[in-house]
Amino acid sequence: MILARHERPYERRRTPPEHVTGSSGPLLEAQCVGRTFGARVALIDIDLHVRAGDSVALVGSNGAGKSTLLSLLAGALSPTSGRLVHGGPGLDIGWVPQRPAIYSRLSALENLEHFARLERVAGPAERARELLDIVEVSADPIPAGTLSGGNQQRLNLAIALLADSEVLLLDEPTASLDPRQRRRFWQLAHALPERGGAIVFATQHLAEVDEHASDVLLLEAGRSAFSGTVADWQLSAAIEGLK
Amino acid sequence: MRSIALLVRKDGRLLRRSPALLAALIVYPIVIAVLVGLVVRFAGEQPRVALVDLDGIPPIVEIGGQEFDVDQIIGQTIEDIELVRLDANAAERALKSGDVLATITIPEGFVRALRGMLRSPQLRLDFNSDLFGTRILNKVQALVFSLNRQLAETYIAANLEYVDLLTVGGSGTFAGNPFDVIGLEEAGRRLRALGEANPDLQREFDELATFVDEAGLALAAVEGSLRATAHPIELVEAGTSGRDALLSALVQAFGLALTIAFISVLLAAGSLASERDENVLGRLLRGLVRPTELLVSKVILVALLAALVALILAIALGVLVEVNGAASEHPWERLPLLVLGFLVAGASFACFGTLVGTRTRDARTATLVALLIALPLMLVGLVPTESVGGVGIVSDLFPFSHSVDFFDAALANADPARAVLRSTAWLVGLGLVYGTAARLGMRRLLA
Repeated sequence: MILARHERPYERRRTPPEHVTGSSGPLLEAQCVGRTFGARVALIDIDLHVRAGDSVALVGSNGAGKSTLLSLLAGALSPTSGRLVHGGPGLDIGWVPQRPAIYSRLSALENLEHFARLERVAGPAERARELLDIVEVSADPIPAGTLSGGNQQRLNLAIALLADSEVLLLDEPTASLDPRQRRRFWQLAHALPERGGAIVFATQHLAEVDEHASDVLLLEAGRSAFSGTVADWQLSAAIEGLK
Repeated sequence: MRSIALLVRKDGRLLRRSPALLAALIVYPIVIAVLVGLVVRFAGEQPRVALVDLDGIPPIVEIGGQEFDVDQIIGQTIEDIELVRLDANAAERALKSGDVLATITIPEGFVRALRGMLRSPQLRLDFNSDLFGTRILNKVQALVFSLNRQLAETYIAANLEYVDLLTVGGSGTFAGNPFDVIGLEEAGRRLRALGEANPDLQREFDELATFVDEAGLALAAVEGSLRATAHPIELVEAGTSGRDALLSALVQAFGLALTIAFISVLLAAGSLASERDENVLGRLLRGLVRPTELLVSKVILVALLAALVALILAIALGVLVEVNGAASEHPWERLPLLVLGFLVAGASFACFGTLVGTRTRDARTATLVALLIALPLMLVGLVPTESVGGVGIVSDLFPFSHSVDFFDAALANADPARAVLRSTAWLVGLGLVYGTAARLGMRRLLA
């Protein structure tokens, strides 16, 4: 992620394979994006540039606008001002909402197969089983609603991974995971930037910013309070106070 | 189309996983349909009507030498009305409070006027000019008709006694005054005797005797004439073996429409809102499916399910009609037309349900709101449109009355094409309006 005045540290940047971008431009870009819900202003003039290899952390207190921004980037909401620009016409964006978006009365396998078919994934049944193995969720025919919170979150991630997206948007993805599940989750999530894609994740765990982000966008009451690299973030006196 | 099929398949699978919901959706409307059938059958079976007797009529009234059991006559005539004897003030209060639906007042001097036969006594009926008031008016008109008929018989009998007196002679009373008459037969005999005793005047006496004989013959025909003028038209009542009211085509149509309405509105509203409950709406609508496809998938599934349940109900009712031994005119050959109606009505109600689903935040609220909105609208559909002003307009804006019209025409009309086409046009039109409104409201679901 980059704003014009910031340069990202070279060591945190991963080189995207050419087939992902075809150019050096951003994969995903928000330009002066704003969103209101009736009279309530959720976001104001947010700029965000997501490039291949980025791992962008969205931080801020509850209600700061992190989830709204992710929903806008995912296309689940439309901005009321500004615009969103995709790096390519066929850019696939995976979205892992904060609350698992799964059918609780279908099994994990049925959920994955259903969404795989809607995504027009080749061999949906095989792909579903493959992803269940990857996220280590049982294929037992039990309702997904009866799975533990951690397993539901991993199923949530698996659905987002179905389409081999170039960009993955993660809304507080580790909130309900135990430490072991968290480590496993980040292994899976980091695979994408390492392949030349990018992830954008919202978090309230500042340790996750240090460990898993290359760039940070701090939101306060819907406005951008800081945007830059993690190194800048760590040096910022204002942020030190917050930390 | 592929996405719609996938969504329908998924929703079908979800429904199968919720047997309690499925059972409730099927059993509840059927129970409601049966209850409504019973209500329609017995609605207003015993409305209360006040009887204010200002004349102090005794239990047995003698008129023209014939005794009348007042309570028995009233009971026989309006057996499905509970008659409550009240004084004038109490009756007025009861009518205002709705405790009674009407008041029949018997004024002072009523029986005296009846006995006198010089003027028609009056009964006064006070009623609220609503649906039930009209019904009571019909009942009381029937009572007055019946009383008039019985009184006419009595008056005819009394008049015939006078005719008999005129013919054969004897003693009688009129307006309380006694009198003696010799009678036409005796008059004829005396005239002829006078003629024989007075040969000069015999011709005149014979002419008078002939006139008296002819008058006697004319009086002999009075009885038939009196009865004919009392009852210019006589109603002959004959029972038939038609359907019981509970199984009438209209009641069946109500039951079927209720079943489809409940299933469709509640299921469509709940199903759409549950997508939001499960938090999958955002995932679906960010490119996997179009909002219209999602709506159409709900409408298709709900219409199919509603049509299936309605078909089972229609077959069950058809069998009941046959078993009931009613005239076997249940149109089994109309079943395909009915199924078409079930699908169209189900889709129309489902469009309304999806509109409710877009306006509510979760499945429970959606089904509750759907029930709260749909129930009164369905009841409005049960009220005859001509009885209450404005009801027709409200009823027209909801698919219920049009569904009833469709099913009733399909079940009972000899030539249902016109009614079916009109109802179909309404159902499709309303479905499009509600569906478009639901489509416009889809974005709100994501907010």
